[in-house]
Amino acid sequence: MGEYDKQQNKYVTFQSGNEYFALQIKYVKEIIVYQEITQIPESEEYVKGLINLRGKIIPVIDVRIRFKQEPVPYTDRTCIMVINVKGTVVGLIVDRVAEVVEIKPEDVLDTPTFGNEEKCQNKYVYALGKVGESVKMLLDPDRLLKDEDVLVPDVEDEDSKEEGEEE
Amino acid sequence: MAEEFNAQGMLDIYLFENGQLLERLQEIVLEQKDEDCFDEDSINEIFRAMHTIKGSSGVMMFDEVTKVSHKLEDVFYYLREAHPQNVPHLELVELVLQVADFISGEMEKLENGDSADGMSGEIVGQIDKFLTALKGGDNEKEKEIEENVHVEPQQFYIAPMATSASRFYKIYITYQPDVQLVNVHAYKAVYSLREIAEDLLHYPEDVISDDSSEKEILENGFKILLQAQCSEADIRELIQEGYDIKKVEIVECSAKEYQQGFESIGSEIRIDLDSSVEEIQKKAEGPGSFIIAPAGEPQAASKAIAPGDFVIESKEVGKGKKLAKDKPKKQEKTAFISVDVNKMDMLMDLIGELVISESVVLQNQDLKVPGLKLDNFYKAASQMTKISASLQDVIMSMRMMSLTNTFQKMNRIVFDVSRKLGKEIEFEMIGEHTEVDKNVIEKISDPLMHLVRNSVDHGIETPDERAASGKTEKGKVTLWAKKESGKVLIGVQDNGKGLNREKIMEKARKQGLLDWTKPDSAYTDKEVYQFITLPGFSTKEQVTEYSGRGVGMDVVVSNIQAIGGSLEIDSTPGQGSTMVLKIPLTLSIIDGIVMEVGESSFVIETNSVKEFVGLKDHTIVQNPNGEEFVMIRGEGYPVVRLGELYQINGYKRDDTKGMLVMVESEKKVFCMVVDTLVGKQEIVVKPIPDYVKKVKGLSGCTQLGDGSVALILDALGLIEKA
Repeated sequence: MGEYDKQQNKYVTFQSGNEYFALQIKYVKEIIVYQEITQIPESEEYVKGLINLRGKIIPVIDVRIRFKQEPVPYTDRTCIMVINVKGTVVGLIVDRVAEVVEIKPEDVLDTPTFGNEEKCQNKYVYALGKVGESVKMLLDPDRLLKDEDVLVPDVEDEDSKEEGEEE
Repeated sequence: MAEEFNAQGMLDIYLFENGQLLERLQEIVLEQKDEDCFDEDSINEIFRAMHTIKGSSGVMMFDEVTKVSHKLEDVFYYLREAHPQNVPHLELVELVLQVADFISGEMEKLENGDSADGMSGEIVGQIDKFLTALKGGDNEKEKEIEENVHVEPQQFYIAPMATSASRFYKIYITYQPDVQLVNVHAYKAVYSLREIAEDLLHYPEDVISDDSSEKEILENGFKILLQAQCSEADIRELIQEGYDIKKVEIVECSAKEYQQGFESIGSEIRIDLDSSVEEIQKKAEGPGSFIIAPAGEPQAASKAIAPGDFVIESKEVGKGKKLAKDKPKKQEKTAFISVDVNKMDMLMDLIGELVISESVVLQNQDLKVPGLKLDNFYKAASQMTKISASLQDVIMSMRMMSLTNTFQKMNRIVFDVSRKLGKEIEFEMIGEHTEVDKNVIEKISDPLMHLVRNSVDHGIETPDERAASGKTEKGKVTLWAKKESGKVLIGVQDNGKGLNREKIMEKARKQGLLDWTKPDSAYTDKEVYQFITLPGFSTKEQVTEYSGRGVGMDVVVSNIQAIGGSLEIDSTPGQGSTMVLKIPLTLSIIDGIVMEVGESSFVIETNSVKEFVGLKDHTIVQNPNGEEFVMIRGEGYPVVRLGELYQINGYKRDDTKGMLVMVESEKKVFCMVVDTLVGKQEIVVKPIPDYVKKVKGLSGCTQLGDGSVALILDALGLIEKA
């Protein structure tokens, strides 16, 4: 119980573009260095492909593209954060994994809902976390992975998928 | 919490054991269904199986199962002891199968976490009726047997030595070291002895709730002191060496020793597991407190033997010989342990990784320093390669199972269906020991069942019809299996009336399946027969319980295709038909050709590749619709450019380089354009993660020798997509 409590407030923070994002530590399985990715045809742009994680083949998504940020070439600082959300194991390509921080519940603030820029990120960011002077965006991993068109594959055709991504 | 766990473990073992017993039971019954009666061995084995099920169900308190198995045990007890004549054999066979079904049904419920709530009343009634009818035949024996059957232990719970006929035994049971929950097994032994026991003591005393007893039993064996009016053979009958019990030692002792209890056991007698009976006896006769055949009291007791007991007069020499004769037979059985499939998969993954990291080590850049002497390194490395290769072979073979059980099930179906339809059918199995991947077995069971039913129902004629057409009245269904070039062929063959070409053509015409520009004679027999695999196609006028609805064959075919197999139908009118399933040996490993397109690697199953040709030697022509064709040896084939089809990074259209891979699937041939061919490799098929949406033409993914991921192409899907 105590162990769980301690974990509850711990977040792994990572950088993508100029922003810092945070994910609850319980979702993060491991962090590995970038490795060669096999492209999967006809998948969404942000689904970069498949990697081999010690015999398990898992999909990876590029967080930058997912967040509609400008993609950058991968460097040796690029990391793949392997997360497990309710049994779905997915790798997240992030620029840099920053640190593990503790954010107390009282430091978690609701996201302000104004401005156009916020609108597209609100989908994944459920709250803001205060760490000292800086602010991290707390990610909802469920929404990060789930996308209507990914959820119901094979039903929609190519075109509607494109639209789905625009929204 | 801990108790719950324990109960679950017990239940698992209960289900597993009984499942095996029931399987064995069905096997015996079906083997001898055509005989006039069960032979003695079978009667004994069925009796024992029922006895075990009764015992363990009693422990688990599944009363209904206990009742049913007890009833059937009674029947077989009667058969065994009274040897009645004129047993209605088929009725008995059905009875046993019904009981097996009932128990299987209950166990299935338990497995699914439901409670075993089936009521046994009806079956018990049937068995009772059967038994009464059976006994009606020879009345004079009935009384005696009746008494024996219903020995209630309570009746005999009197002080030891109350009856002069009582004999005393010390029983040592040694369990296999890998048996789980050995205390439950021990309790089972005690439970089964209750029937005959007048008095019984065992050590460790508390086997049910005291977990430490498990260790004690495994280390020092389980000891039982028994007072009963029975012979050693009777005890052996109840406690048998098998997959759980390694050794049972039974020593008769005097009443005095019996009263001394375990003191004499624990301290002085240490019997090693592999010693023969003679040795043990010698040991026992030594300075210790054991006396095997004393001239005094027990000897006298042993002469007064209860009616119906087996009497073995000579205790010393004859006994040893008998045991020795029995033993090798039992040891022939292969020992099995059941393993969690997930663990196996994990092991397989890890071994795959091992092989990859091995190649990473052996082909490491750091080794490629000029002038480096690596002779010893490579010697050691080749040894390691050998070991890892055999490791891989072993794990692959672990997934293989023989088809015996599946075939056995079919035997049952033939039996049931033919009885209901009033047909006489002989069932033959050939090659049932063929080994196939476990996944494949699971997937072919239903389709196979369907084919067998069809054969029995549609194929084989009624005895009258058969007689009229000059055939033997008994029909024959043969189920065979064999391996052929990486595939398993399973055939269902009958000597019935065969398929009726005219009828099928007529029906096909009605359903508008025929190409009207083509004359009827242009259809080959095989093409015609394939019509019956289409949805809604049944030429049987009457729908029976078993077939004729026309929803069968198409399901069969689609199920078979789903695992990469195919169905071939062959038939000779009046002579019967043969349905052959062609199925890959395994779903998880395929022999594949690895090729590269742009930055991506692809694999295609070797079997579907017809040939490779260089791209630059052939001209690709384009028709106005943009479809491309290539002429190879005067034949035109459609061309699929993988790079463009899937928009692969780094693919450049360049017809001066590259290869054409000619692929055939379902009689359709097309050519794929790829950049380079890498080689042939055995690959482990893995599913594409669910998170990624399905892509037509890709059936899975795999890791290559260097650890990178390649996509597996599915020829059929590619045809549909392109």
